[in-house]
Amino acid sequence: MKQEYLKIILLAGLISLGCTTRVSEWVLLNSLANQYTLIYFHSNPISETIKKQNQTVAERIETANIQLKEIKRQDITEPYYGLYYKQRLFSKFKTTDELIGLTSSPLREKIAAELMAGKLCVMLYLKCDDNEKDEKGLNTLRRAVGSSPFREIITVIELSRNSLEENHFASVLLNVEDDLKGIQEPMMYGIFGRFKALEPLLGKGISEENINLMIDYFTAECSCLIKDDLPGTDILFTDKWVNPKTALLNKIIDDNPLLGY
Amino acid sequence: MQTDTLSYDTLDSRPMPKWLIDQKSGLKTIQAEKLVMKEDNSLKISFVATGIFILVFVALLTVYFYRKHKNHTS
Repeated sequence: MKQEYLKIILLAGLISLGCTTRVSEWVLLNSLANQYTLIYFHSNPISETIKKQNQTVAERIETANIQLKEIKRQDITEPYYGLYYKQRLFSKFKTTDELIGLTSSPLREKIAAELMAGKLCVMLYLKCDDNEKDEKGLNTLRRAVGSSPFREIITVIELSRNSLEENHFASVLLNVEDDLKGIQEPMMYGIFGRFKALEPLLGKGISEENINLMIDYFTAECSCLIKDDLPGTDILFTDKWVNPKTALLNKIIDDNPLLGY
Repeated sequence: MQTDTLSYDTLDSRPMPKWLIDQKSGLKTIQAEKLVMKEDNSLKISFVATGIFILVFVALLTVYFYRKHKNHTS
C-alpha cells in the first residue's frame, strides 16, 4: 500500500510540474529533433576516392541531426546523394559541392540563437519574390505581431525562397509539406523548440487571426504527455541545444496572469 | 499536417494545417491522457481476511478449550 501511495504522489507532482510549462518551452527542453538521412546511392562498387569523399561529408555533418548512409542500387545511371526526412525525399545532389552549407547557414544560426535566448518563437516570412504579395502578407504579419502582448519575445525574419546563400534552408522549408514548392505565395513559418517549423500559413492564410492562433499555440499550457502528435518538421541544423536561457514568456505571464489562459 | 495524400482544386480549398484547425476548434492545449484510477479493493480484502482469520482462530481455540475441558472432567 505504501508504495502505491508514493507512486500516486510522485505522479501528481510530475503532472502539476508539466502543466506549468508552456508548449514552446517544453519542446525546446524535451523534444529531440528528428533525424534526416543523406543516402549515397551507387550502382558500382565504391572506390577509395569515394570512400574518402563520403568520410569527409560524414565528418562535416556529424554534429547535425542527420546521418550518412550508402546504398547500392542497380537501377541508377549515375551516383547521387538523396536527402530524406521521415522517408520523404527532400532533395537530390549530384556532387559534394552541392552539399556545402547543408546543415548550417547564417540565418539558421541567427534563428537558433534567438530560440536559445529564450524567445517564444521566430516567425519566418518566406517571400515568393512577388513584391505585391510579399508586402501584403508582411504588413499583416507586422501588424499582428505588433499588437500582440508577446511582441517583445517574437522575432520576425524574412527570407527569399530564391536566396542563394540560404538555398538549403529554403529548400527544407519548402519541403515541410510536399506541395509547397509549387505554390508561388508568401509563406509564414512559426519556428520553435529545437528548430521545429510548424506547417506554414500561406497566401490569404497569413491573416491576423491565424497569426494570433499560432501565438496562442506557442503560449498554451502543455501537458507532460506531449509525444508523437507534436506538429511540424525539424529543420536540418548543427546546433547542440545545450543550456537554453529560461523562457522569456514566463515573466510576461507571471506579470500578467490573464495572458496565460 | 500531412497534406500529401489530399488533393485540392484551388489554393482556397487547400486544407489548413492540423495545428490551426485544432486552435480554431479551441483545443489550445495538447490534451493530457485521462488517468483512470483502478478500484482499490485492498482495504476490503484486508478486512475480510482479518475477519476470517479471527473467526477461524476463535473457532479453533473454542474447540481446543472445549476438548481440554472435556478431558479434565472425564
